[in-house]
Amino acid sequence: MSILYDEGQQAIATESRRVLDARVGKDRLLKLLEQVGEYDQPFWDTAVEQGWTALAIPEEHGGLGLGLVELGLVALATGAATAGAPFLTVGYGAAQALIGSGQADLQAAWLPKLAAGEALATVAFAEGNAPLPPLPTTIFAGGKLSGAKEGVTGGLKADFAIVWAAHEGKPALVLAELKNAARTAVESYDNSRLYADIAFAGAPATLLAEGDSALALARDVLARMAVVTAHEQVGGAEALLYIARDYATTRRAFGQFIGAFQSIKHRISEMYGLVEIARANCIHAAASEGKDNFLIAAADARISATDAYDTNSRDCVQIHGGIGVTWEQGLHLHMRRARSLAVELGNLYYWEDLLVEQLTGVAA
Amino acid sequence: MSDLEAYRAKAHAWLESMSPKYGREARRGMTVEQELALGREFQALKYEAGYAGINWPKEIGGQGLGHLEKITYDSEEMQFGMPTVFFGISLGMPVPILIRFGQGANGEHNEWVKERVVKALRGEEIWCQLFSEPAGGSDLGGLRTRAEPDGNGWKMNGQKVWTSWAQYCDYGVIVVRTDPTVEKHKGLTYFWVDMKAKGVDVRPIKLAGGDSHVNEVFFDDVRMEDSQRMSPVGGGFGVALTTLMIERYIATDSGGFGPHLDVFTDLVKGLEINGKPALADGRVRSAIARNHAMRGGLDSITKRAFQMMQAGMEPGPEGSLQKLVAVRSRQKLSELAMDLQGNLSLHFDPHAYVKEDWSASWLNAPTGRIAGGSDEVLLNTIAERVLGLPQDHRPDKGVAFNQIPA
Repeated sequence: MSILYDEGQQAIATESRRVLDARVGKDRLLKLLEQVGEYDQPFWDTAVEQGWTALAIPEEHGGLGLGLVELGLVALATGAATAGAPFLTVGYGAAQALIGSGQADLQAAWLPKLAAGEALATVAFAEGNAPLPPLPTTIFAGGKLSGAKEGVTGGLKADFAIVWAAHEGKPALVLAELKNAARTAVESYDNSRLYADIAFAGAPATLLAEGDSALALARDVLARMAVVTAHEQVGGAEALLYIARDYATTRRAFGQFIGAFQSIKHRISEMYGLVEIARANCIHAAASEGKDNFLIAAADARISATDAYDTNSRDCVQIHGGIGVTWEQGLHLHMRRARSLAVELGNLYYWEDLLVEQLTGVAA
Repeated sequence: MSDLEAYRAKAHAWLESMSPKYGREARRGMTVEQELALGREFQALKYEAGYAGINWPKEIGGQGLGHLEKITYDSEEMQFGMPTVFFGISLGMPVPILIRFGQGANGEHNEWVKERVVKALRGEEIWCQLFSEPAGGSDLGGLRTRAEPDGNGWKMNGQKVWTSWAQYCDYGVIVVRTDPTVEKHKGLTYFWVDMKAKGVDVRPIKLAGGDSHVNEVFFDDVRMEDSQRMSPVGGGFGVALTTLMIERYIATDSGGFGPHLDVFTDLVKGLEINGKPALADGRVRSAIARNHAMRGGLDSITKRAFQMMQAGMEPGPEGSLQKLVAVRSRQKLSELAMDLQGNLSLHFDPHAYVKEDWSASWLNAPTGRIAGGSDEVLLNTIAERVLGLPQDHRPDKGVAFNQIPA
């Protein structure tokens, strides 16, 4: 299905854009690029204050009981601002895993804290280069978790993680508090994502789901996060479209605005096309939350949004020429974010294969 | 069920009842002339059933409904492949313009126009649109066919080209140059023309795919009455733009009017690459996934445009992406489908249906990227109208037409 945003949703879109315009600045984001282990605290304080952490958490657990459509609109605004905190997405994923597990005590323990911004959470599904390996090498046995997860988003500061592990030869989802794990910071091209390599050596953990239901839940959680991220990617891609447009209507060469040259204007029109196709997929996917076709809709959104953000980063820089590659001008904030988001939520190989599996019934 | 869904269901049921005699399957192997005869029959039945002129005023022979009903019916009809292709342009642009601005050769208006409209709706008469010329396609304002005052009327000479279905047409609307001494867009005037008049010579052009639906049309001292004029003298370009804007909301096809993606996946399921299922090949999976994501986006744009219209809002400009994105992807996907079949794809049936056959789709795809606004013109339009980028350098601006270097 697809929808038109209602008044409340439009208000979320405008308000989140307005708040971020006022509070997120390029200078602070540039500094964060060179600091390992730090993220944009003022942004996160804003997110908590604005209730964005509570948006998609049920009311009975202290949340606002809204859904992917609303969270997507906030993500659209954070993407435009390259706002530097990963927890809007991965914290949401962890909350959704708890909700999907049906375990009331864990929900009661953690969801109110996540809603209030008092706890930070992430998901650790990937191993090596596989976003969701069929049978992970991280092992859950006798209430203990052992194994390694590379490049966990937000892993440096999260209080707990939802971990994709193997339990008695079957896949499982478990909750593990990260104070009991060894975390090594990953020095990255996008450091405010707080990437960590995490080693579990017999860390206490709680089983959330196993076997087929664990796989179904993990896919659903990953798809939900992918839809949030797709909005973020569209927000970034759209920002780049207008940065390119504005530059092309002010920069002159050969006696005219460079936007008059078809080599430039056609490139910018193509950027527009990528943004609008991905946006339409995002709206459709967010409105398909909980429906049979959700994985397909999420994959469409994820694939088109990744393509849009990568392409628009590349082309926006190209349209700027030399100034586009300077540190100070800051387009590389988008270049970096386009890549980190492209990788974090499962690369295109994963989503293309999943989509084709859903469409044809044939796994890769 | 909403009113619109009920309307859709009723239209679907009616089309289903028509399908055994007029649908795509029933017409396999027919010549164009046979299809046209059947098409005229179907069009008359469509008129009787109330599905012709859906969003036109009742007074003129239409149904007095809205865009939404029109698009709803059209998207249903598209699925059945009914023989309406001959009437698409006629009813899409020339006849609506006739309703607004036309009168008969002797100045009679209402009755003459209404008679033309009803005959066009019933498929008895067909109208063509004579815009493009050898010297002016994307640059419509560069056209050279001229009309000169001749007594109390006009005398026309020149050549049009790419005129769809002109060989079967009774009338046409035409833009011609009436003053070469002023700027190019200001010296044009809009007329209707009797395609059976003395001095009109229609010559079909065989296209690369083998069919001949487009024509060259030559005018040799063709007489037109002044009452055939549909714009002020020198005001023809504006009416031409109005004509092109009439069909703003049309039924679209994210498959670019070629085969749908499930036709591709069905093909792939039966094939192997290097002794393994083709569907296990990453290149093939990537192509399916990318196309699905792109077409899904276009479909969602269409659905939202429809919802906006239902809510009484103007749909966004993103609808202009449909043709640009869908047709060129169809072209590439068609090539890929042929590659996948290897030597087996060398067989070619010139009468195959473009929505089912990859070779036919491939060979006819370029037309879709050129006709009705080329990719390049569409990109310019998005850049200039939607994004506010400046126009290209235009050496012909402010210059009298006859002073522009040819």
